[in-house]
Amino acid sequence: MIEFKHANKYFGDFQVLKDINLTINKGEVVVIIGPSGSGKSTLLRCINRLETISEGSLTVNGIEVNNKNTDVNKLRREIGMVFQHFYLYPHKTVLDNITLAPIKALGKSKEEAQKIAHAYLKKVGIPDKANSFPSQISGGQQQRVAIARGLAMHPEVMLFDEPTSALDPEMIGEVLDVMKSLAKEGMTMVVVTHEMGFAREVADRIIFIDKGQILEDADPAEFYKAPKEERAKLFLSRILNH
Amino acid sequence: MLDFTILTNNWDMYVEGFKNTLLTSLLALIGSFLFGTLLAVFRIAPIKSLNWIGTIYVEFFRNIPLLIIAFTLYAGFPTLGIELDGFQAGTIALIIYTSAFISEAVRAGILSVHKGQTEAARSSGLTYIETMRYVVLPQAIKIVIPPLGNQFINLVKNSSILSVIAAGELMYQADLISARTYVVFDVYIIVALFYLVITLPLSYGVNYLEKRLAKSN
Ligand SMILES: Nc1ncnc2c1ncn2[C@@H]1O[C@H](COP(=O)(O)OP(=O)(O)O)[C@@H](O)[C@H]1O
Ligand SMILES: [Mg+2]
Repeated sequence: MIEFKHANKYFGDFQVLKDINLTINKGEVVVIIGPSGSGKSTLLRCINRLETISEGSLTVNGIEVNNKNTDVNKLRREIGMVFQHFYLYPHKTVLDNITLAPIKALGKSKEEAQKIAHAYLKKVGIPDKANSFPSQISGGQQQRVAIARGLAMHPEVMLFDEPTSALDPEMIGEVLDVMKSLAKEGMTMVVVTHEMGFAREVADRIIFIDKGQILEDADPAEFYKAPKEERAKLFLSRILNH
Repeated sequence: MLDFTILTNNWDMYVEGFKNTLLTSLLALIGSFLFGTLLAVFRIAPIKSLNWIGTIYVEFFRNIPLLIIAFTLYAGFPTLGIELDGFQAGTIALIIYTSAFISEAVRAGILSVHKGQTEAARSSGLTYIETMRYVVLPQAIKIVIPPLGNQFINLVKNSSILSVIAAGELMYQADLISARTYVVFDVYIIVALFYLVITLPLSYGVNYLEKRLAKSN
């Protein structure tokens, strides 16, 4: 469903992604880990064309992401994205945050969009916050709204870029729980995270990336037990001793 | 002491001028706000040709005298078969001129909205225009209101230039009264007071809004 083939990406002279070959199948949960600055966010952002690859090919559902004829807005409707800093719209209520894209991009009626929004708010465990503004709810709740906002578009795949890194420790669990239940329902997910509990429990694969290169693509249990790559070992020992 | 008989004897003309100043300022404010916002979006849109159009417009009109724009519209357009009276030509000139400044204020406001907002909206499938309209501009407006208020004050004052094309506003009326009565000082002091009646409350309003917006952030 997502396929990188010999993909390279440069920021000016600097090569962020190096010969990326990666296939993610429907229903898979893939966790991406790697040191800061290794290109994880960039890799993720290429998938919905927030960044464009410089060379090679990238397809989502068989559609060439960087083809000029590809309707990027249509493509993005199929790809939900959750950011480290949530990026809820501060001037809109929780409900309006969730209904905006379904109404404007999918052409749903307000009533229908609100019904869907309420259903997803219930799913992420905050049905009573529909009329709050983002500034009135906790970070964990904001991130759950962001997830509900993504889900309300009924995407084929959800991308998560360090969704718990900006949260206070006591709120990480509530967000991971929502993500775990999504994973168990069969949602295709690509998740940049260092949360090993999450990776162990629901990930089908772990991708270790360093300096723009995929160094390991492994089963989570095996990866954490014995990473093959020296750099992965080093990285793991660092986050474990954190 | 001011000779207030000037005011009472010419009350109707002053009021006529006051109304016209207020009306041209209001129309120009609305017009230049809409047009200036469009120009701001042009300048930051991800389309090079639009960027250029926006930049050329702003740099051109921001850096020439308002008087030239007003004259060109008033005297030049009839040669093209478009007849504009002083008030119409003056109001359009004010819009053209002020848009350039407002576009800069709006652009600064747009740029102050975190780019994550745009990314969140775009990645949910909203178009560039929808993202602007529903996500970015409503947040930018908060930052734009104080400079916009200042532009409005400038606009009221700048409208006095339109007297030279017989726009019928305050300054024009003052010129007429002065020519008729041979009084200079009192006539213009009184007209200054009329301007203050508009600009002082605006000035206080802007300060008040600035403080309130600063608090809400
Ligand atoms: N827009 C950009 N322009 C230039 N360099 C960038 C840009 N975005 C990211 N980078 C650089 O690319 C590298 C990878 O960044 P990123 O993908 O954010 O890494 P990660 O998410 O793994 O921390 C970093 O060195 C970063 O400084
Ligand atoms: Mg990152």
